[in-house]
Amino acid sequence: MSRQELLRRMRKNKFFVIGSVMLVILLFFIFIGPLLVPFEATSVDLVSRLTPPQWFASNEDGSPSHILGTDGVGQDILVRLMDGGKISLMIGIVSVIIPMIFGTIMGMMAGYYGGKVDLIIMRINEVMLSMPQMMMAIAIMAVLGANVYNLILVQCLLGWMSYCRIIRGNVLSLRNSEFIKASTLLGSGGGRILFREILPNCVTPIIINASQQIGQIILTEASLSFLGCGVPPTIPTWGLMISEGRSYITYAPWTVIAPGLALMFTVLTFSSLGDGIRDVLDPKNKD
Amino acid sequence: MANETRAPLMEIRHLKEYFAIPNKGMLHAVDDISFTVNEGETLGLVGESGCGKSTVGNVVVRLLNPTDGEVLYRGENVFDAQKARSFELRKKIQLIFQDPYSSLNPSKTVYQTLAEAYLVHGEKRGPALDEKIRKLVARAGLEDYVLEKYPHELDGGRRQLVGIARCLSLDPEFIVCDEPVSALDVSIQAKIINLLMDMQKELGISYLFISHDLSVVKHISHRIAVMYLGQIVEIADKDEIFDNTLHPYSIALLSAVPKLEFDKASTRIVLKGDVPSPINPGEGCRFAQRCWMAREACAKSCPALQEVGPNHFVACHYYQESQARCAELLREQANGQKEESV
Amino acid sequence: MEPLLAIQDLHAEYRTGRSVAHALNGVTLSIMPGEAFGLVGETGAGKTTTALCTMRLMPRDVGRITKGSVRFDGQTIVDMSKAKKRLVGKPKVPGLSEAKLTDLRGKEIAMIFQNPLTSLNPVYTIKDQIGLVYNAHEHLSKKDTRDKVAEILKTVGILPERMDDYPHQFSGGMRQRVGIAAAMALNPKLLIADEPTTALDVTIQAQILELMKKLQHQNASSLLMITHNLGIIAELCQRVAVMYAGTIVEMGAVRDVFTNPAHPYTVGLLGAIPSLTTKSDRLSYIPGNVVNSSMIPSGCPFHPRCAHCTEQCRKEQPPVTAVSAGHYAACWKGGHIDG
Repeated sequence: MSRQELLRRMRKNKFFVIGSVMLVILLFFIFIGPLLVPFEATSVDLVSRLTPPQWFASNEDGSPSHILGTDGVGQDILVRLMDGGKISLMIGIVSVIIPMIFGTIMGMMAGYYGGKVDLIIMRINEVMLSMPQMMMAIAIMAVLGANVYNLILVQCLLGWMSYCRIIRGNVLSLRNSEFIKASTLLGSGGGRILFREILPNCVTPIIINASQQIGQIILTEASLSFLGCGVPPTIPTWGLMISEGRSYITYAPWTVIAPGLALMFTVLTFSSLGDGIRDVLDPKNKD
Repeated sequence: MANETRAPLMEIRHLKEYFAIPNKGMLHAVDDISFTVNEGETLGLVGESGCGKSTVGNVVVRLLNPTDGEVLYRGENVFDAQKARSFELRKKIQLIFQDPYSSLNPSKTVYQTLAEAYLVHGEKRGPALDEKIRKLVARAGLEDYVLEKYPHELDGGRRQLVGIARCLSLDPEFIVCDEPVSALDVSIQAKIINLLMDMQKELGISYLFISHDLSVVKHISHRIAVMYLGQIVEIADKDEIFDNTLHPYSIALLSAVPKLEFDKASTRIVLKGDVPSPINPGEGCRFAQRCWMAREACAKSCPALQEVGPNHFVACHYYQESQARCAELLREQANGQKEESV
Repeated sequence: MEPLLAIQDLHAEYRTGRSVAHALNGVTLSIMPGEAFGLVGETGAGKTTTALCTMRLMPRDVGRITKGSVRFDGQTIVDMSKAKKRLVGKPKVPGLSEAKLTDLRGKEIAMIFQNPLTSLNPVYTIKDQIGLVYNAHEHLSKKDTRDKVAEILKTVGILPERMDDYPHQFSGGMRQRVGIAAAMALNPKLLIADEPTTALDVTIQAQILELMKKLQHQNASSLLMITHNLGIIAELCQRVAVMYAGTIVEMGAVRDVFTNPAHPYTVGLLGAIPSLTTKSDRLSYIPGNVVNSSMIPSGCPFHPRCAHCTEQCRKEQPPVTAVSAGHYAACWKGGHIDG
């Protein structure tokens, strides 16, 4: 597909346009936003704890107001949302890409080489899948200690199996197709066949799976932080914010609603973008 | 060279291809086949589904390793070739597939598909490559605009032409055509057949043309081999095999084709039953079960190919009688029909 | 003599999403009792759609008949000229009631399908599948059904002992025999065969053709044979219609059409087939591609591929004219083309 054709397809695709606009908003919010808000993410101000959201109203004394209110220790929710977004998004994206690559390679190897390779990879896969995911995550985090890197590691350990299974199935059905034979006859080796012939035909399922996973991963991060075995409380993440806000949910619901909405927005952004990319890259999709 | 007889381009010697079928035994897909293809020649390989003709094609192009036997290209066993030589040999021996739908990668444009062979063999991207690909496309009788298209945007005939162009990209000397026209409409079929014949004339390519369609094989081939259950039962020059058919299976096969003829008495010999299973075939002649002239001896020993005329080989114990017996059988049939209508 | 099946100016289309495929654009043909009629054409010419319309079996959601009529043995299967416009919902197809039509199918008109593998239900035995025809139309007892099935299996050359076997235990040729047995079970007046031998090997095809010849001769039923193989038509049929882009371009006695073709498409088709009996160096082929039924050219649908095309051909659809007695062609040149 030529570059112009690709751009034309991108412009014409509703999902892709909406997804990209949402992504731009999200990135602007996370990276530019903190420069515009006169609070620090970790500045505790017990006097103004649990202040309700003050929409565009400035305080009588001229001090800046908390647009989305404050949490239990008087930290500004808006700025924490922005800062926390950085971490949450970083965790989300890294823990999608690494297992995506790893799982895809494993799946391709299992499907293409078959035999013992397939047997070993798929048994490991099944063992991993048969264990309760959340329990595993909690256990690993408890042993390794709660920090961002371990969180990503856990997500990677638990996230590659679905890619592996999907890709293996695809490769198995593609492996014996005639265009693969044709490539062999032209002199292509195993690597070329895997990456140049088979992989492009697996892009669609990979992207669909990844766009579903990114939301899932941010949610897992939230759940782990909620349970206290995610990132340490000093680093603001959306999951942690929801977890902390739960004790005030009855009389200060904004502490939970704001990060919840941010989470929802992010998940929607990536699923819309995923659908868009899938349609744009699929040559069979005409409009 | 002048005094030597030239070696054939392709020689297949005692080729065997067996597949183990769990709990059932050995499937003898190809059982001891030998033939040669000379330079600039087309050998037609006909037979019904499951007779092993496609397996032969797949072994010759090295998509399958043979259980036993040799495939010699200009006297060199292709399965003994070292890695670098083997890579070079890929260029020389190519395959045209039956299904123009599954033989092209759906995620690649025609340009990408055609560029692949050049890139694999070390050429660089650039205007020189573009020019080569344009020439290739023109050679296959396609328009330039197809280069930007994906396979699903082309009709079956054009896709098959792309497949042929890909085949030509490495200047092969020998092409195995595995039912290249059977998935296409009649009016498109003719175009492809003409192209293949033109290519042979201009580039001197040799073909192993595999098909179940006798009329197509007759049109394109110089020599024809008839296969039944993994064995060649008759092989001869085209005119010889059509005018002087000797094997009872070949006779029945030729007579079975519906013909565009009027005012002719039926010359059809209808074979009984189905093709038997190629799993653990017995001792005797493979065709004996369905043969209209089988005798006791046929079930006991399998006849070998024997030369019965110049370049004409038949594997049948009683080939001398076949034509007389055939005439007799047709006379009986005609009488039977007359009695019925009376 | 009244024709058994009379199709008049039949139009049909398939709608999928925004695109409309004009599958049939005015098909007129009639089949006499006891006659074997061939319908030839390439992919997408509308052969199968014609057969489906005859039994009113178009896929319900996407396909519909838009114009024309089908009459069978004095009954009106479809007549769109009597269609009433309805404000709400899909228009009712005017013609026989669905119940009567169900009774007609299988009993008076039967069909043999192309793929013997998928046209039989894998979970029922052969006896059950053929017995179904008897149960639906004749309400026979179990024992009578068994006897009848045994009898019909014998006529198609299958041992009656095998009636309790399942389809997967039969080979392709045997399955097609079962399909023929089910179709012939009630001795229908019209048998429609849609590419019955395309999926079979040549020697098996010969068996099936011989069987069909014999059965048609014995039962004096009419046959509508749909195929792309001209040889089969020459062998089996008395009359033939050549279809292109949803219209019949040429029709007549098989011998007339094949030895003295009048339409350039028929000429091209005959020239494109390599012959087993004569020698030729080069095949003639029809330039261009098979027509796309959602973009049918104006005028004569064949004009973009025709060597004799004139201005008139591009603009106006040619009428059907008689070339000789009983031999018709839809071409402005009226059969007077050279070469």
